[in-house]
Amino acid sequence: MTGRAAIALVARREIRERLRSKVFLASTAIMLALVGGTTALEGALSKNPTYRVAVTAPAPPGLAAALRTAARPFDDGKVRLRIVATPRAGRQLLDEKHVDALLLLGGDRLVFRTNVDTKAAAIAETAVRTLRHHLPTSPELSTATLHPAEKTDDAATIVAYLGSMLLLMSLAIYGQWVVTGVVEEKNSRVVELLLSTVRPRDLLAGKVIGIGLPGLAQLGLVAGLAAGLLATGVFDAPPGLGGSAALVVPWFALGFALYAVAYAAAGALASRQQSSETAGQPVTYTLLAVYFAGYASVAADAHGTLANALTVFPLSAPLVLPARSALVGVPLWEHVLAVGLVLATIYALVAFAGRVYAHGLLRSGPRLGLRAAWRLARR
Amino acid sequence: MLSLVDISKRFGNVQALDGCTFTVARGRMIGFLGPNGAGKTTAMRTVFGLAEPDRGEALWDGRPIERTDRLRFGYMPEERGLYPRMRVGEQLEYFAALHGLAARTARAAATSWLERLGLADRARAKIEELSHGNQQRVQLAAALLHEPDLLVLDEPFAGLDPVAVRTLVEVLRGEAERGAAVLFSSHQLDLVEDVCEEVAIVDHGRVVATGDVGALRRASRRRRIELQVDGAPPEWLPTVAGVSLVERRDGGLRLLAGSDVEPERVLAEAERAGQVVSFDYGPPSLAELFLELVAP
Repeated sequence: MTGRAAIALVARREIRERLRSKVFLASTAIMLALVGGTTALEGALSKNPTYRVAVTAPAPPGLAAALRTAARPFDDGKVRLRIVATPRAGRQLLDEKHVDALLLLGGDRLVFRTNVDTKAAAIAETAVRTLRHHLPTSPELSTATLHPAEKTDDAATIVAYLGSMLLLMSLAIYGQWVVTGVVEEKNSRVVELLLSTVRPRDLLAGKVIGIGLPGLAQLGLVAGLAAGLLATGVFDAPPGLGGSAALVVPWFALGFALYAVAYAAAGALASRQQSSETAGQPVTYTLLAVYFAGYASVAADAHGTLANALTVFPLSAPLVLPARSALVGVPLWEHVLAVGLVLATIYALVAFAGRVYAHGLLRSGPRLGLRAAWRLARR
Repeated sequence: MLSLVDISKRFGNVQALDGCTFTVARGRMIGFLGPNGAGKTTAMRTVFGLAEPDRGEALWDGRPIERTDRLRFGYMPEERGLYPRMRVGEQLEYFAALHGLAARTARAAATSWLERLGLADRARAKIEELSHGNQQRVQLAAALLHEPDLLVLDEPFAGLDPVAVRTLVEVLRGEAERGAAVLFSSHQLDLVEDVCEEVAIVDHGRVVATGDVGALRRASRRRRIELQVDGAPPEWLPTVAGVSLVERRDGGLRLLAGSDVEPERVLAEAERAGQVVSFDYGPPSLAELFLELVAP
């Protein structure tokens, strides 16, 4: 039997175990429900939106009716009109979020708080033109905001942070599965029987692939649903964002290959009394550390040196790159460099972990430190 | 043929194997004996590449053992190990497939062995649901599924009831008759004497005796004397030089004598002490030979 056949056998067993696991099926259902539910909620909330508009007295007769008519094509929207005495009073209402827009007919201006709501602007524009019986040749209203626009796009932020959170959780959860599987094989001593026919590195590879593929399928379903929803415009989001959401999937594959190998080595080094939870801790802490470093650096300055460095640094790239790509975009060369570095790291780690795995699995003594493992691997 | 050639292995301060050498031919069944810590398990693990010898090597048909050879080996490790939450049938099919059997053959082999070991109705049970004895049977089946050329079993009789012992003896004999080389370790010396023609005895990592059990017993420098003398004083012992007491039991005496001691002299003394009811002289049992060879 070839090594590849052995890898396939080991992987097939892992996949079958996963597909039978109630935890796996339940978590898939929950993740799909979360993404789908968010969309349904978003859809329900965006039905019959109410646009709150203030206008300075005296309001021209028919304005309220014209606004209502103009709002109807926009998801059956409603308009609540408030009359204010002075522009100053209107600005105050706007600032305190009692209204969403202030219509200053004297200056033909429509004022928003921070960001221009294009739908509200279109409704006001149509209504005013109808009242004045003007033909749509030039804009009736100019738009302005009270405050400078908030920098980030809401949808991009959600994709970036949800995406990297999803990646972090998936890597940690599936990584923990690898540890649990390795520790179970070690503690039940079935590994002795396995290694009498299978090479350690084939066992390692089969295990990582067999746990990674169901994980990838699960994440692919969820990310695919999210990307599809973004692309069909259910969310009010720029169309390119679906691509960024989809980036989560290949980066899970790369990140998982990297971290699962480390998790497997950690499991192999565990002592027999040690639980799989504590065995995986060093890797989980590393994962959390790079996640928070990435989060902090991108939040501080998404274009900064640190954010750029963490985008290509192999340990953090799987978490940081998709997020930065959604937020500010990442140039192609950084994508290429990050993928290259991650692949190189996986290659080196597999060679190292393969040897640690063999020695660690067949030892029944106390937990091995990393230094002892390194010595073993070099022998 | 399996050959262990001059294998040495040290774990820290412990010399587990120290020039261990012996062979197991196809069609032969060898009992592997030795006190705890003598190196039996380590020697067996070197066959499967699970322990790397510091010196020496394990050979199959005169060549270093490759992974492809190991696919044709069957192994029952000292510490039993199966997936606790996997079903019995699936588990056996999996191990058969790892030994290179096609899916259909693997399934047939699993079914046939489960039937033979009286577990046909437990194929869908999880390992953790089985009794200890039944888990042991599944473990045995996992070693046998692929009709191995070499069968290595570490303490296969430990913890078995007499019925299971009988079944296992029959299975192992069958495997040897089929042409497999069979090596198993055990502490049950009477059982080994019944079952095996050949033994290898290790002590402190060295093989101290190997070969035909009868020949080894006859080659011993000791002889066993069992006698019963009616009417002798309770503390009576023969005073022949080179004879020592092993135990008094049921009014009888068990003695150990050098092979140069003439048994007639012991018998003559006994006849003077009382009426000799029985007198038995011969080579030591395997158990006695074992104690002679590995005594500290």
